[in-house]
Amino acid sequence: MLQGPNHVITCETRHEGGDNPMETIQYPKELIRDLVEGRLPWDRVKYIASSYKDDDRFDKYVEILQDRMKWNEKILLPLTNKLYIVQKGEDRVVKCECGHEFGDYRVNWKLNALIHVRETKQEVEELYPYPSRPDPEYCEIREFFCPGCAAQLEVESVPFGLPVVFDFLPDLDSFYSEWLGRPLSTEKEFKDLSYDLVAKWAKE
Amino acid sequence: MEESLALKTARPPAIGWDGKTLREMVHEKEMLTKETGCYYGVQELELYKRDPLKLEIFHCRLRAASIAGREQARLISASPLVREVAELACGIHSPEGDCLLQSTGIVIHIPLMSQTIEWMIKNNYESEVGIHEGDIFTSNDNMIAGMHPPDVYDMLPIFYQGVLMGWAATVIMEAELGGVAPGCMQSSGTERFVDGLRWSAEKTGEHDQWWKTSEIRVKANCRLGDLVLLDRKAALGANIKIREEIGDVFKEFGIEYYKKAIRELVEIERRSEIERVKKRTVPGRLRTHCVFENMYSDQPVPPHHAKDQITLVPFDFIIKPNGGYLWDFDGSGAWGWHPNNTTPSALTGAACTFLTQTIAYTGTANFGTFLEFEINAPYDTYVNPSSRFIGTQDLFSVPIQGGGLAVGLQSRAFFSRGFVEEVLAGSPATNLHGLAGTDHYGRDFACLVPECAGTHPSGAFALRDGLSPGHVIWLPTVDMGNVEIWELMCPTLYLGRRLLPDSCGWGKFNSGLPIINTFMVYKTPMLAFDNTAIHPVDKIYPSSGLFGGYPGSGSMYRLLTNANTLDLIKQRKPLVHGIGLPDTDDLNQVSGHLEVETRRSVFMKGVAKHGDIFQITYGGFTGGYGDPIERDPVLSLKDVESRLMTGDRCRRIHCTEVSLDENTGKWSIDKEKTKELRNKKKTERVSKAIPVKDWWKKRRKDVAEGRMPELLKGMYKSSLEKGARWPKEFKAFWHLPDDFSF
Repeated sequence: MLQGPNHVITCETRHEGGDNPMETIQYPKELIRDLVEGRLPWDRVKYIASSYKDDDRFDKYVEILQDRMKWNEKILLPLTNKLYIVQKGEDRVVKCECGHEFGDYRVNWKLNALIHVRETKQEVEELYPYPSRPDPEYCEIREFFCPGCAAQLEVESVPFGLPVVFDFLPDLDSFYSEWLGRPLSTEKEFKDLSYDLVAKWAKE
Repeated sequence: MEESLALKTARPPAIGWDGKTLREMVHEKEMLTKETGCYYGVQELELYKRDPLKLEIFHCRLRAASIAGREQARLISASPLVREVAELACGIHSPEGDCLLQSTGIVIHIPLMSQTIEWMIKNNYESEVGIHEGDIFTSNDNMIAGMHPPDVYDMLPIFYQGVLMGWAATVIMEAELGGVAPGCMQSSGTERFVDGLRWSAEKTGEHDQWWKTSEIRVKANCRLGDLVLLDRKAALGANIKIREEIGDVFKEFGIEYYKKAIRELVEIERRSEIERVKKRTVPGRLRTHCVFENMYSDQPVPPHHAKDQITLVPFDFIIKPNGGYLWDFDGSGAWGWHPNNTTPSALTGAACTFLTQTIAYTGTANFGTFLEFEINAPYDTYVNPSSRFIGTQDLFSVPIQGGGLAVGLQSRAFFSRGFVEEVLAGSPATNLHGLAGTDHYGRDFACLVPECAGTHPSGAFALRDGLSPGHVIWLPTVDMGNVEIWELMCPTLYLGRRLLPDSCGWGKFNSGLPIINTFMVYKTPMLAFDNTAIHPVDKIYPSSGLFGGYPGSGSMYRLLTNANTLDLIKQRKPLVHGIGLPDTDDLNQVSGHLEVETRRSVFMKGVAKHGDIFQITYGGFTGGYGDPIERDPVLSLKDVESRLMTGDRCRRIHCTEVSLDENTGKWSIDKEKTKELRNKKKTERVSKAIPVKDWWKKRRKDVAEGRMPELLKGMYKSSLEKGARWPKEFKAFWHLPDDFSF
């Protein structure tokens, strides 16, 4: 049991022994749920942030998120606060919490989203009221929305003409097999497949 | 006779361990580390296994020594950069130079002081220069190692019975170091030769004392020479303090324990860092980019340097399955004659400050933290210039913008793993100003004012708004310094130090707000302002938002010359203290000639005198987190009540319906109307947005036909020429032929 600043935070501690000098702890699932959902007071969040990291966070985290979803596909990895990589049959697809699917996780999900670029001075000034602001002739403020729920999923600020940014392509198989020690049922090549999609578009 | 000649020319006895030279020790370390994968071949952690507490106490003794040294320096120095802003740090290094520990402070320099020591060793200082007890070595040559010249490294060897046991090293940042105005970090420093006073890992003293000639050199070449000299004494005091503390450690633990323990501590940290990465992140490829706008066509620089250029630095952050990190800058454009390139050494510093604030923050960071950290900085590019004569005043360019963005990138991996309490959107900027002219004491004057150590906001967290202000990527100990102290130093009186409304990075959680400072120029007939060179960004904002958040405002500089401030004071009328609200600018209360500048790395036009007004905003492009229309209306109410957000923007961006009761002066929220506004916004989004496929077809045509500003075409052309992987990806994404160029 650890004593936090104003609250008691219950957790188990254990030492792995061997050459690993790091101590490990575990928090109750309810505490992690409150943390993830933003219900913990800041002093408790700060305490957790400053303590040793809990070993089983990922599994509890995924369980909590899975409980929240209205769909049943198994979450393999949370990608953003709205998007998840899920197992769908043999495939691994990016899925919004609203249920909209974006396709294979190795294709940048943004390519299957809706986009709006702030191209006028007025649109830019709405965000930036002072003389210091991006110049829409040089800078694209790209807003990506979910076609299913219209949530603003990401905003890119890039020089005009930069390819759409693939923020995070996780190496899922290495993660599950080498870090978690439980390989996924089928292996997928760790490869950015976005270029295949745009090549297909070019032929249309 | 022959014997006497032989004695004179004989190599001095080796000062390394077991009769080895330092070069031999470095070679042995490199070989053993390469062969075994473990630092110095330490595969068994004998001391840790035998008595982990003893090793921990040993580590604490060393760390206490480094912090004691740093605190001692702060008592000696007279510079506000040291006393107020804490622009200093101390490190303890192995005989080979490897960092064993770092104090608090500007830790970005600790591995760079390691590189400097290793450089001295590899350049035969042991035999050709001599390394003796009490020798002082000073360096600020950034082509050896470092971030920029004002960060001066002083290094002192630590001996035990004639054998080198390590080094105490202290870095202190100077406010002025004899460069062209404003003395250091000058925007116009387009080549090394105007950078100011330079020590290229030189011996500057012996027997624990700076040589008289070293002092004369400083006094003759610096405007604030006394401050620089006192800082050298501060650094020397810190290093001597560390040496004394380490001497006590030798007595307490024994020299053989010390020799073994320092290597074991590095190896433990190497393993720990891998464990931390594997426990908290997810392997894969994270991606962003930096853009730098060097606008020199109208600046006071040599004509062949006076050109405008925009440069792209693509940034892939790879988390490797083995737990190591790779920062890959493939595709970086050309370097240029301006002060804002960077170097592999500076990128190593960036890695240090990034890791020690985000994942290796327990106080154990040392050389082992960086052993599995790889950087690809292609030669002859912006991140690794091929000329050794480049201006080096701002090698911070990529480290600050890229390092700030890396915080957001790594946060994505933290988020995926469930460590939401560690998630922080990017804070990719710092800005400051330099002054030059005559001070309020009537002296020739120049000074850098790095209040930015405390005036910038942080990006938003995943669980709350960012800090307003209180975060810079390059300094864990955030402090803007006391107004009264800066006023003693600079001919500028503070009229206000306030937060800048409506300037956050918008999101479900907003980034923090920056400070706006308002100064009255004080008792000087002549003062120039330099929007000091730090990663020049103006038109193209860094992509710092997370999960739907926007990047926040950038910086702004305003100079009002021929201002009627003195008349207003006589008439006892209100002065300008900030900006008020965006639509009702306080500066309208004062008359004069106004210059507004949003570019960095340029001089303000005009020369100020007593009574004129200068304003600087410390906008950091800090990122918001999440969809702005998901902001809790209760937070929106606090926003408008604090007058740090206008009701108009609260409605337009957060879609929270707020209203002010003019009679009571109280704000309220309308929950139903808020819901309506948010639903309406979603409908608007869907109606104005298009599928990315359609947008891609249109934009592809623009790119293929070169429909973009000439500066951007130049930017892409340079990256296409310089890159290896990146050009292929660029052409593949836009489906362009292999021989495409702009």
